[in-house]
Amino acid sequence: MQRIIRLVVASSFVLSLMLAMGVQAQDSPSGELVVALPSDPTSLYLPRAADRTAGNAAWSLYNSLLFMTDDGELVGDLATRWEISEDGREYTFFLREGVTFHNGEPFNADAVVATWEFGQDASNDYAGQYTSVIDVVVVDDMTVTLVTPEANPIFLTLLADNWAIIPPAYMREVGIDAFEAAPVGTGPFRFVERALGDRIVMEANPDYWEEGLPKVARVVYRIIPDSTTRVAAIQTGEVDIVNRLSADEVLLFAGNDNINVITYPNDRVYYVGFKNMGNGVDTPIMDARVRRALNMAVNRQGILNGIFAGEGVTIAGFTVSTNLGYDPSIEPFPYDVDAARELLAEAGYPDGFAINMGCPTDAYPSINEVCLAVQRDLSIIGVDVTLEFKTSNSYWAEPNYATVGPMYVDSWSSAVGEALPRLQGALIPGAYYNTWEDDTIVEFIDAIETTVDRDERAALYAALQQYMQDDPPFIYLYQLNLFEATTSRVEGYSPRPAENYFLKGVSVSD
Amino acid sequence: MLPLLTRRFVQSLLLIFGVLVLVFLMVRLTGDPAALMMSRESSQADLEAFRERYGLNLPIWEQFANYITGIPRGDLGNSLRMRGVANMDIIMQRLPPTLELATASLLFALAIAIPMGVLGGMYPNTWIDAITRFLGLVGQTIPNFWLAMILIIIFSVNLRMFPSFGRDGFNSLILPMFALGLAGMGQLTRLMRSVVLEIRNEHYVRTARAKGIRPFWVAFRHILPNAAIPLVSVIGIQFTYLLGGSVYIETIFSWPGLGSLLNDAIQDSDFPLVQAITIFIAFFAISINFLTDIAYALLDPRIRHQ
Repeated sequence: MQRIIRLVVASSFVLSLMLAMGVQAQDSPSGELVVALPSDPTSLYLPRAADRTAGNAAWSLYNSLLFMTDDGELVGDLATRWEISEDGREYTFFLREGVTFHNGEPFNADAVVATWEFGQDASNDYAGQYTSVIDVVVVDDMTVTLVTPEANPIFLTLLADNWAIIPPAYMREVGIDAFEAAPVGTGPFRFVERALGDRIVMEANPDYWEEGLPKVARVVYRIIPDSTTRVAAIQTGEVDIVNRLSADEVLLFAGNDNINVITYPNDRVYYVGFKNMGNGVDTPIMDARVRRALNMAVNRQGILNGIFAGEGVTIAGFTVSTNLGYDPSIEPFPYDVDAARELLAEAGYPDGFAINMGCPTDAYPSINEVCLAVQRDLSIIGVDVTLEFKTSNSYWAEPNYATVGPMYVDSWSSAVGEALPRLQGALIPGAYYNTWEDDTIVEFIDAIETTVDRDERAALYAALQQYMQDDPPFIYLYQLNLFEATTSRVEGYSPRPAENYFLKGVSVSD
Repeated sequence: MLPLLTRRFVQSLLLIFGVLVLVFLMVRLTGDPAALMMSRESSQADLEAFRERYGLNLPIWEQFANYITGIPRGDLGNSLRMRGVANMDIIMQRLPPTLELATASLLFALAIAIPMGVLGGMYPNTWIDAITRFLGLVGQTIPNFWLAMILIIIFSVNLRMFPSFGRDGFNSLILPMFALGLAGMGQLTRLMRSVVLEIRNEHYVRTARAKGIRPFWVAFRHILPNAAIPLVSVIGIQFTYLLGGSVYIETIFSWPGLGSLLNDAIQDSDFPLVQAITIFIAFFAISINFLTDIAYALLDPRIRHQ
């Protein structure tokens, strides 16, 4: 009898222990997630984080005032709600109570002020994201107003994407350089250590304010620049998440149950630009019919199939399927050589013409082959293209692509879920990369810039897209698919079209 | 011996100055980094500010003067990509992994090359000599970047014996050490074999044999010390080669050393850093050459008394 009692007691003890562990595993963060980074982040201080890779690693440490969900909706993060003034220039944020930084400092209006002040430091790459706010007014300890010089519909998106809130006292005490070495935020993970070129280690923030997050106890970023090695490292299970893989590389994972492949179109458009300034003046491409003809003469799908194994989509303009205001009824130019010849003849060039086209050697995946394919396609309608291959240093060294053209190949990404940055950069006169001046396009962009209502803005994007088909300033080429892979123990990892991701909702099973 | 060392020292200094000039000019041939380093949306004013901050707008003479005068103070400038972190600090963080890998590779090469070379040289045209010559050939002909990938596929992905990347203790050292050390192993094995082959016909070896000394002791006492002279100079060259030539191996294995740092810096057009690493490695190589010369002189009285 005693043995039975002992057995029951023992087994119930074991059972309750298991239950407790089960509950524990559900509630508190557990497991270690290893993420491969293709390059060593320049900095974990957001205003100095030069690229996506650095930004992705850095964001694990911070929160912004707002957070953009996977669906592109802006929700409160360190601000619980916000108000925008009538003229669209003043944004008042009501801050979340009871949030503390990893070092114990309380989060309040002063933190927003410090973030703005230090963000503008001339040594930062992205100081411009902070100087675009002309004043930060502290209304009370938990209310703050940001003042911008003019209405800007994507201001809130830029805020969510760039303004990582920093602890004021700590930053004022140590300065930016020391802060970079030991960054502190309010984010789901806190900084543990970093070895240059090797690894960055973070652990779950036990006081994180979002219920049930983060889900993993430890995140280790490993720097693996060589993609062959990234492929090997996920096959061995040494890392859980790898990105920047090629179509060929993910083929190696076929039939491997331990690896899940993630594919999505990158928010980056590839195109051939035209110039109606500089060396483009008085050339055949000034005529809209010629530009439409060239658009129809390029076999985009052929390029995708032949060079990229079909891993991409053809595009109809600068606004792509994941952008605000995308209109699926506007289709990419058809591949139609006869119609292209007719248009050319109509424009007065029945035998075609000769023109130069710049190509940024090796700056993008297989871009040299793409340039050659465009050259060949255009030769079919009699347009004799002379390619000018230049390395990135000289290609973009002069404003307005002065060293090449009047046609040139390039690409442009967007991280805000809208085409606005690339439209502004490429089509507003005076911008460094502008080569096409069209008053109607400028009016459209002005209207988009100052319209805060999302639906109205979407309609403007669609109308602009139609205009830019009728009178195209570019040959629109394609968007490429991106490839990433995770081990099967990873759950909740969802990279976005701009290659950014957040790890707070990612979990690992054992 | 002192005049020899002085001469060598002056030669080394001249060499370093030559390297400085060459590196400074070559890095600048690649163009202006401002457009490349700054984001796409930055304005002309931002680009100008960037150039000013890093002194890229100064006349080239002034840039050169600033750069040369900094070096004696250990100031190799600041990295562009890492935004103002001192290059010297970055290099010092990345130096230990490279030294570790280079030393391990050299030891690995020597551990195989010396016994195999001696055996091959002592017993020419036997099966053991065939192995020696085969090792020498294989080591010198297999391209190490190819070998590195094959090693990862076999020993990491298929057999799961060693990590495929990174620097996590002794286990992770094995594959890069092998990939990096194999070429040196081949060269040293062949060198050792031919030197021993030559020495074993010398009169003093024949005398030793005639005295009835056992073959092991003949090799150990009479052949090895004399073979050490050419070996030392080749080891010096090998070590500098391992320091500078590990760019690809370090990149493939994500080994956080100077080689992978140099690769990153070149890719990012971070020319102050490229410059700093090149100078650092050149300085190291020249110092090792200098030390090799001293060792050479110590080992060989004929050189000392020249």
